Amino acid sequence: MRRIITGLAGLFVFVTISCGVASAFGDDQCLTCHEAIGDKNAALFRKDVHHQRGITCAGCHGGDSTKEEMELAMNKAAGYIGVPKGDQISERCSRCHSSMAIMTGEFKSPLSRNQSEQVSRSVHGDLSTAGGKRIIQCTTCHNSHGILNVKNPASPVNPRNIPTTCAKCHSSASFMKTYNPALPIDQLEKYRTSVHGRRNAGGDLKVAECASCHGSHEILPANDVRSKVYASNLPATCATCHSDAAYMRGYKLPSDQLEKFSGSVHGVALLKKGDKGAPSCNDCHGNHGAAPPGIESISKVCGTCHALNASLFAKSPHKQAFDRKRLPECETCHGHHEIFAAKDELLGVTGAAVCGWCHKQNPPNKGFTVAKTMRSLIDTLIAHEKQAQALIDDAEQKGMEVSEAKFRLREVRQSRLESRTMVHSFDLAQFEEVVDKGRKTATEISIEGQQSIDEFYFRRWGMGVSTLIITVLAVALYLTIRRIEKRQREEIK
Amino acid sequence: MWKNIYDWIDERVHLGDLVEFLGKKYVPVHSHSIWYYFGGVTLFLFIIQVVTGILLLMYYKGSEDLAYESIKFLMSKVQFGWLIRSIHSWAANLFVLAAMIHMFSVYFTKAYRKPREITWLTGMFMFFLALAFGFSGYLLPWNSLAFFATKVGTDIAGVVPIIGKPIMTFLRAGENVTGATLSRFFGLHVAVFPGIFTILLAIHLLLVQRQGMSEPMDREGMPADEKKTMPFFPNFLLRDLLFWLIVLNVLAVLAVMFPWELGEKADPFAPAFAGIKPEWYFMFMFQTLKYIPGHIWFVEGEVLGVLAFGLAGVLWTLVPFWDRKSSRGQKNRLITYVGLVAVIYIIILTILGYAS
Repeated sequence: MRRIITGLAGLFVFVTISCGVASAFGDDQCLTCHEAIGDKNAALFRKDVHHQRGITCAGCHGGDSTKEEMELAMNKAAGYIGVPKGDQISERCSRCHSSMAIMTGEFKSPLSRNQSEQVSRSVHGDLSTAGGKRIIQCTTCHNSHGILNVKNPASPVNPRNIPTTCAKCHSSASFMKTYNPALPIDQLEKYRTSVHGRRNAGGDLKVAECASCHGSHEILPANDVRSKVYASNLPATCATCHSDAAYMRGYKLPSDQLEKFSGSVHGVALLKKGDKGAPSCNDCHGNHGAAPPGIESISKVCGTCHALNASLFAKSPHKQAFDRKRLPECETCHGHHEIFAAKDELLGVTGAAVCGWCHKQNPPNKGFTVAKTMRSLIDTLIAHEKQAQALIDDAEQKGMEVSEAKFRLREVRQSRLESRTMVHSFDLAQFEEVVDKGRKTATEISIEGQQSIDEFYFRRWGMGVSTLIITVLAVALYLTIRRIEKRQREEIK
Repeated sequence: MWKNIYDWIDERVHLGDLVEFLGKKYVPVHSHSIWYYFGGVTLFLFIIQVVTGILLLMYYKGSEDLAYESIKFLMSKVQFGWLIRSIHSWAANLFVLAAMIHMFSVYFTKAYRKPREITWLTGMFMFFLALAFGFSGYLLPWNSLAFFATKVGTDIAGVVPIIGKPIMTFLRAGENVTGATLSRFFGLHVAVFPGIFTILLAIHLLLVQRQGMSEPMDREGMPADEKKTMPFFPNFLLRDLLFWLIVLNVLAVLAVMFPWELGEKADPFAPAFAGIKPEWYFMFMFQTLKYIPGHIWFVEGEVLGVLAFGLAGVLWTLVPFWDRKSSRGQKNRLITYVGLVAVIYIIILTILGYAS
């Protein structure tokens, strides 16, 4: 006991002497004393961007940093709060960072003053499980005493360090399940396999990291329509870098992907029609593990949605031929970012048809004949469908009840769509079977439409004949009445 | 051949007595005789409704799930099914029109005066039943238009103070227009209303036969030999038949040239579409309710409108009892003016209803 009392007395004497000496060299008496006692936070604060701007410990902790005496420096009457806890942390930060007078007027800082507000509105601004107003505080990402400029390689929010900073929480299963158990925790792992991640690890600070796509203070859930990674916003987010030719210089990548994608069948569906089922950039390239799909995996990627086409193609003779020639499977005929609607014109050997690119007429080959026949078959199906449609429209316009036949026209359209899928088998017999089904249905509808039109004229003729008969009867009756009344008048006379 | 058939029947049921009775019946001939035929035309259209209604019953299924489909089947698959439905729908409208003309002709000629008060009352009840036939039959195809029109129509009935809500619930067979309403309307349309109508019609015709045709008031003082008449049989009956043939011709042209559409199947969960309009014979009342302000003094405008129409209907029905002058054989211009105002009002409001 005596040794403890002796030790504490010695420490008191040491601190008192040190503070007295330090007060001669600066105003932040807190820092001087805390450094003197070997406080790690004090050492970190010495490098802190705030300290370099002349902000003292009292800036966050309150109290009076100019006073040497502990009682005066840490006086609650002077606003001393000790270590800020929970929401107090971000409130302390925003006292300055949200103030125009301080940030712009006093420090001439270019930082935006709505960071705190942005965090409050972000997914991180939800109530915390501990009862706080927000899940994270400023210090969660920026540290507390060693806050460095974002450009400083040691800063946790420097582009190179952001992935690991975010991963502190996002790769922790135990932490993440308390907020969003469905959210994967392998983002960092996938990111490190991506082109972005590999380059980032290699020190390339231009490549995308978490904040590039998700934002920093304003991060929103991916299913929030305002989020930068919401399906229909994602192409523009990716294009921030990828469509900037100057920025992308040196990466040997084109910068017209967004332009091409916007005009493609996928882009139109997603961006113009608002179809959230249509693919965005990440559906083919991956999101955190973003990389261009390899030649061998293109059909797998496309096949995640176009499953039947991919399956038929895999069983077709084209599969082996494409593999031998190292041709990307779907892309060879359909393109990639600029994929247009797969219309029937793609099939065949003339005009916009793609089969003729490889299957030439000379020397004669089976592929040329099959492609030509397939095109001719689908043309006849289209002609049948048009004829059936015209007859049903005509009958309907005449007021005939043809709703059932009209509904069956969908079966013909379905056959046409099925035939577009069946093309990928490149098997003439299978293709013809589907087309025949559609042609048969179209013929039946045409017959029904024609019968309805005939019925319409039959009704008109029937009405004409009936009206005539009734009119003749009426006239005959009128004459009979006149005859009877004439006879009656004669009888009276 | 015809004579042989007649003789054969006459030998058994003594047709001669009936022909002799009919031969002694005479119908007054004057400048307003034309109106006599509208009673017959109304009867003819009712017969058409009964016949086509029975034919429709052979295919119609009165349930929420099957009503629309059964009518669709009838119109597209059954031989002449479209024609039967079209005739039934058009004849229903012509029936109400003919009944309306008949009623106004009786009103303006004051034919309701003593001793024909009961004939007038039975006629008025039949007219109200004709409107009820139209309202209930309109819902039976279970299409969108009918569904929402019924909803609006029963809503209006519901605004009557005290009895309105129970009436609305009774008509709808519940709080809302549902399949139960359809079943109820079906029952009323094909069983209850025809039963009551037939009884009233029998009384009406019996009274007409018993009391004869009413003459205009200015003929009442004329000597019997100066009054021009025609035998009921065969003259008037054949002329009646001639009118029926003309109406049949008009009906055939309307049914074929303007077939009654079926529309979309009713969806109780779909929002009511804009521009819902009732059948033309309810249009003047519907349009009036639209013009009445939301509140008049402390009463809701709609309530006041419905009550006013109810009161007008009661007064109109009871006209033989408060028009004492006509019953005494004196001219009553007030009645004529009231009738003229009513006709002009109905025509203008109906036109405005369709124009809006």
